[in-house]
Amino acid sequence: MVCGLKGMMWVGNLEKAARKAAVWLVNKRPIRDIRDWGISFSLWPVHFTTACCGAEFAATSAPKYDAERFGFLPFVASRQCNLLLIEGTLTKKMAKAALWVYEQMPEPKFVIAMGACAIDGGIFWNSYNIVRPMDILPVSVFIPGCPPRPEAVAQAIIMLQKKIRKGELVKYEEMEVVK
Amino acid sequence: MSEFVETISRSEDGRFLELLIGPQHPASGHMRLVAEVDGDVVVSLRPNLGYVHRSVEKIAEVKKFLQIIPLVERPSLADTTANNLAYVLALERLLGVEPPPRAQYLRTLLAEINRIHSHFYGIGIHGVMIGSSTAFMWAFGDREPLIHLAQELTGARITYSYIIPGGVRRDMPPDFPDKVEKVLRYIERRLEDYDKLYVRNPVVRARLEGVGVLKKEDAIRLGITGPNLRASGVPYDVRKADPYCAYPDIDFNVITREEGDAMARFLVRVGEIRESMKIIRQVLKKMPDGPIFAEKYYKMLPPNLKKYYEETKEVKFPGIFANLRAPAGESVARVEGGRGEVVIYIVSKGGMNPYRFRIVTPSFRNAVLFEHLVRNVRVADIPAIYGSLDYFPPEADR
Ligand code: SF4
Repeated sequence: MVCGLKGMMWVGNLEKAARKAAVWLVNKRPIRDIRDWGISFSLWPVHFTTACCGAEFAATSAPKYDAERFGFLPFVASRQCNLLLIEGTLTKKMAKAALWVYEQMPEPKFVIAMGACAIDGGIFWNSYNIVRPMDILPVSVFIPGCPPRPEAVAQAIIMLQKKIRKGELVKYEEMEVVK
Repeated sequence: MSEFVETISRSEDGRFLELLIGPQHPASGHMRLVAEVDGDVVVSLRPNLGYVHRSVEKIAEVKKFLQIIPLVERPSLADTTANNLAYVLALERLLGVEPPPRAQYLRTLLAEINRIHSHFYGIGIHGVMIGSSTAFMWAFGDREPLIHLAQELTGARITYSYIIPGGVRRDMPPDFPDKVEKVLRYIERRLEDYDKLYVRNPVVRARLEGVGVLKKEDAIRLGITGPNLRASGVPYDVRKADPYCAYPDIDFNVITREEGDAMARFLVRVGEIRESMKIIRQVLKKMPDGPIFAEKYYKMLPPNLKKYYEETKEVKFPGIFANLRAPAGESVARVEGGRGEVVIYIVSKGGMNPYRFRIVTPSFRNAVLFEHLVRNVRVADIPAIYGSLDYFPPEADR
């Protein structure tokens, strides 16, 4: 594409250049910090219960522990969520579904693995039907405990937020903005 | 992957659509529903289970008898005491130990506290499924004081492992009855609010009344247990039919309703919360004094742990108990959990592990019931019916 600007001739792909400029801009200091700050307070975990830790996860969103104050609100559709919380054991059959849900979520997306089972099998370490989430998903934060108390889940959320704000997790270059 | 991508297919004449719902769906049960729909009407529904199958029974065969206590609790995390109690009763029958009366009463106390908060859990999840987040927030908020009570008694939020062969792990703190009374009064007040906001709410009534009607004969034929059975007018409760722990001395009613619809199942749960409160009050009044741990095992404790037990009224097992051997034989025990009858069957060949371990949970029967109920109903009724069954997937898949 060619366009004239005050008598000068610019040759190149304007659209591509604009995208590049946008990427450059959002990765510059104040804007990047604002972006990360915003992302850290809008974590939407997808409603995907994999095992018994879901009981404590539900208690985390309930009044006493109220995770919504961290900007953390479980939501139904995976297309509108950016956080996958593996709630406990991931069986082989469920792992396929977990991958599928993860692939549907838009970038930037994060994974928290909750419970001893999601770390290394926990009490079910010698079961024939489990998968370790870290083998198939990029897990950012692990929560130990069987089941972890709601306070621990809240702490994991805060840890994830800190990680995001440090700029460790979100990288726009990788996000296929430039095609 | 194609298995997941093809979510809709049409029958040959093009009339019926086969719809795959889940396992990630609003109701968030770990099961996939294969529904055949004709317009908005579900012609048939096949639940596809097994998403949380973790081989509890097989693992139990390589664990020692005491290690199985936490293991059996995991399948039904919202109602752990029922599984814990059923397992320990079966094991005690095998070992030939009889717990002292105070331990029996403490077991009953925890079982009833657990029943109330398990029912609140069911009510809350049901609320989410029919789109009433108020019900979820209220029920889960009101569950917390009870969890707090149980925590004071046992030290854990929901996985208590409180009941051990020969007794219970800890004695009740001295000011516990007062605290219980306070919580019970609070719950009583709240149940009136539920009545106003939820039970008499026209939207809730429209969603639940006459939906998913289970007839008495069908309930018996399908082998349903627990509140779902009682909502169809069958007064069957293991606490009455085969009393265990302190239940023979306690006066309580079996709540039944005749309608058999989703609303009846909900109301039976609310009624059982009231009965459980009655039981808790009686248990606290009649609580006998004495040891909380069977004499036979007390003698086996080393002197330092005996002293510890006398001082703190907490039982700590020495290492030798890990090698507890059960005599060869079979035993079976059943208890009434929050969701229905839990049956545990142990076969021992005289070793340190069971030879065969079987656990029959109420939720699996509910999966059968779910398939039976969702026939010729609207698609929007699926969550209303599903929620009313209080189905807990890890329990069904084990
Ligand atoms: S960590 Fe414990 S509570 Fe969580 S899924 Fe595993 S067994 Fe269940």
